[in-house]
Amino acid sequence: MFGKIFRNIAIAGLLASSVLGSPASAFERTDKGNVIVFGGRQAIPVLDPHVRYDWSTRMLQQAVYDALVKYEGNPADIKPWLAEKWETSADGKTWTFHLVKTAKFHNGDPVNAEAIRYSFERGLKVNKGVAWMLKDFMAPEGIKVVDDYTVQFDLKAPYAPFLSFLPWWYIVNPAEVKAHEVDGDYGQKWLTDHAAGSGPFKLGRWEPNVLYEVESVENYWKGWPQGNNRPAGVIFKIIREPAAQKAALQRGEADIVEGLTPDDYVQIARAKGIAIEDHKGMTTFGIKFNTQKGPTADINLRKAIAYAMDYDALIQVYNGAASLETSPLPDAMKGFVSVPGIPRKDLAKAKEYLAKSGYANGGITLPYVHVAGLEEARRIGLVLLDSLKPLNINVEIKPEQWPNMVANGSKVETAPAMTSVYTTPVSTDPDAVAYQYHKNSWGQYFAMMFYDNPQVSEMIDKARGSSNWDERAKLYADIQTQIVADQPEVFGMLQNRRWARRDYLQGFQFSPVRFTGEVDLYPLWVKAE
Amino acid sequence: MLTFAFRKLLTLVGTMIGIAALTFLITNVAPGDPARLVAGPNATEDMVATIRSEYGLDKSLPEQFSVYMGDLARGDLGTSIVTTRPVLEEVMRYAPATLELVFVAMFLGIIVGVPLGMLSAVYKDGPLDHVTRIFSISGVALPAFWFGIILQLMFAVDLGWLPVSGRLPLVTRPPEFYTGLLLVDSLISGRFSTFWTSLQHIILPAIVLSFPCLASILRVNRAEMIEVLQSDYIVAARAHGIASYRIVALYALKNAMLPTLAMIGLRFGWMLGSTVLVETVFDWPGIGLYAVSSALSSDFKPVVGVTLMIGFFFIVANTLVDLAYAWIDPRLRRA
Repeated sequence: MFGKIFRNIAIAGLLASSVLGSPASAFERTDKGNVIVFGGRQAIPVLDPHVRYDWSTRMLQQAVYDALVKYEGNPADIKPWLAEKWETSADGKTWTFHLVKTAKFHNGDPVNAEAIRYSFERGLKVNKGVAWMLKDFMAPEGIKVVDDYTVQFDLKAPYAPFLSFLPWWYIVNPAEVKAHEVDGDYGQKWLTDHAAGSGPFKLGRWEPNVLYEVESVENYWKGWPQGNNRPAGVIFKIIREPAAQKAALQRGEADIVEGLTPDDYVQIARAKGIAIEDHKGMTTFGIKFNTQKGPTADINLRKAIAYAMDYDALIQVYNGAASLETSPLPDAMKGFVSVPGIPRKDLAKAKEYLAKSGYANGGITLPYVHVAGLEEARRIGLVLLDSLKPLNINVEIKPEQWPNMVANGSKVETAPAMTSVYTTPVSTDPDAVAYQYHKNSWGQYFAMMFYDNPQVSEMIDKARGSSNWDERAKLYADIQTQIVADQPEVFGMLQNRRWARRDYLQGFQFSPVRFTGEVDLYPLWVKAE
Repeated sequence: MLTFAFRKLLTLVGTMIGIAALTFLITNVAPGDPARLVAGPNATEDMVATIRSEYGLDKSLPEQFSVYMGDLARGDLGTSIVTTRPVLEEVMRYAPATLELVFVAMFLGIIVGVPLGMLSAVYKDGPLDHVTRIFSISGVALPAFWFGIILQLMFAVDLGWLPVSGRLPLVTRPPEFYTGLLLVDSLISGRFSTFWTSLQHIILPAIVLSFPCLASILRVNRAEMIEVLQSDYIVAARAHGIASYRIVALYALKNAMLPTLAMIGLRFGWMLGSTVLVETVFDWPGIGLYAVSSALSSDFKPVVGVTLMIGFFFIVANTLVDLAYAWIDPRLRRA
């Protein structure tokens, strides 16, 4: 039956293509040079750097804006960017940044201390997006222009992670933003699909839900690492389905894609002209227990589940492109320690803990909630289901839409017993992960275990307020050990970050601190045949 | 006839209000917190509250509903919390792409469905009839997303004849805006190469979208043709020795087309709704794709806006069919 259908359609297609068909080029060539095409699943509804910051948004923000400092390399280091150097006061409360004098916005205005002050003030006053990173420790009045190229931040209290957040605070041109303000909105409406930055690219076409184009700035103040090979621009094309992404890459309609399935990566790696970027990331996967309500409030039951879990199967779900967590912190993070005795499959121990729990004979059904459509999370649910059978615990696998999962997970009463959660830390500072286990984080999706250990919260507070790294390192080691002992989740694995690209695309630089799918577009270039 | 048309218009307004009320309530009682979602993963409570108050989500549901219906009466569909843009502006931006896809799919459905229906009636129970039966069952049964991906793999990846997705090649600038329909605008602007490339892009999604419609048209047309071909005036025409092809094409088809036209009217509204899946597979930037991305982000106002728009076209198409019928058959005006 299908053969006939396909034959009919093939004939129709043949007729159409004989008239119309012309193969697509490998990468897009324009009269200005090569344009790299990035195929990604996630649209960019709002580009304003102080309003939103998911992975696709931040990728384009980083292309058109600069920040005082920038994350580069693996492990991720903080490199000077708009700031050429900086110093901190002895009490850790005053940070002074000295700016480069050559940086210019795209309209030619200089990037000076006032632009820095305005941008930080804007971020804090708009109170969206990145504001949470600094708002508790810095007031707009605490930002001072010392001279044209020196800016000073006076913090309310010492805050060790301060510098680690600055790469995500992009600098906007105050003159341009003020010119487009409507009813005191700090230019929010205009910056939704316009840019006022100084980055290596300026904004080109902006076709919501279709494509977003950036064009390279020829005389970018920082220069281009690839010299004359710099691309004319990059098009971020929205391709939602993994199958369509794969097809676009194979056909040469995209030069790099980010959202293939684990099986697709294995398959496409064998294709000619395709290279796979496969790097150990910082995205952790955990099965978060509701530690406050229901059966999983019982630590012995949580331990039993953690020891019954088949961890090898987690790696198999990703066809080997993952590594097991040995701590709540990812290994690429400063202050990481591998916690001895972190549970691995041990059925005898699992049964021991179960016997000590209030459910000695099992006989319970626990829900496992995952994001609907996320195949890997569903398969991990199947692994869990199999793993808990020997304990006579049944698992009900429940797919949920992401907004519903977040809403349910924000309250103890509605949070499920087990939820699969992937978390990518915003910075390389250990506080970015440790704070997820602070009681203040309750209500956030990554804290839906509602973990409450006052001793851990106290250590976290102490560590983020200290400017002595040795002291902090010791505290974070203790924090990691204690969290593992309390077992608020099944510590799963670190899924590798992967992209499939055409082999002529050069300059790809991985940095684990970037979000899923996010790529630094600045060093990319096309190697001509 | 005027009274009949006026009655239909009143029904249309009433139905639109019903759709707006129902969709608004369903989307708002569904779980999910759009403000928290938009605020981002680490947002503090006061950041979430800022967004809630900006979009009036801090008000009670009856208050939100009365504000929404008041705005709606003034032609304001509200603002999307995700894109921060007015919904009406966005619906207008995406609607031409969807309408173009639906028009082309409808065209394909008619030019393939009607002749095949006619031929399968003429050669009833013959091999052609059996083949078209399988064809039409498949048309109704095949899931659009699966069929779309298969066509992409075949014609875009393996054979390389047609593009995978989108409306135009990436570096091709759209033609000047007249109607928003690229095929029409490119012809008006005299950009024939853009016309060809946009035609290439629309072929696969249009085939997928037209397949179920084509199947329905085919089946309805076949059934009507069989009935008409057995009627007395056709028998009389045959007795007069009129050539078969003239009987079928001139006398039978005309009468058999009436129910087919009704089916085409109904299918137009159905197709608008079906674009949701097809547009997602082919990244076709229309209202279907807009509705899906909004629904997945719990962005309610665009969902209500798109539902209203689809409902509007659906009702208009049905009303036009009703009016056409009433015009043809005066008995219906009194019904």
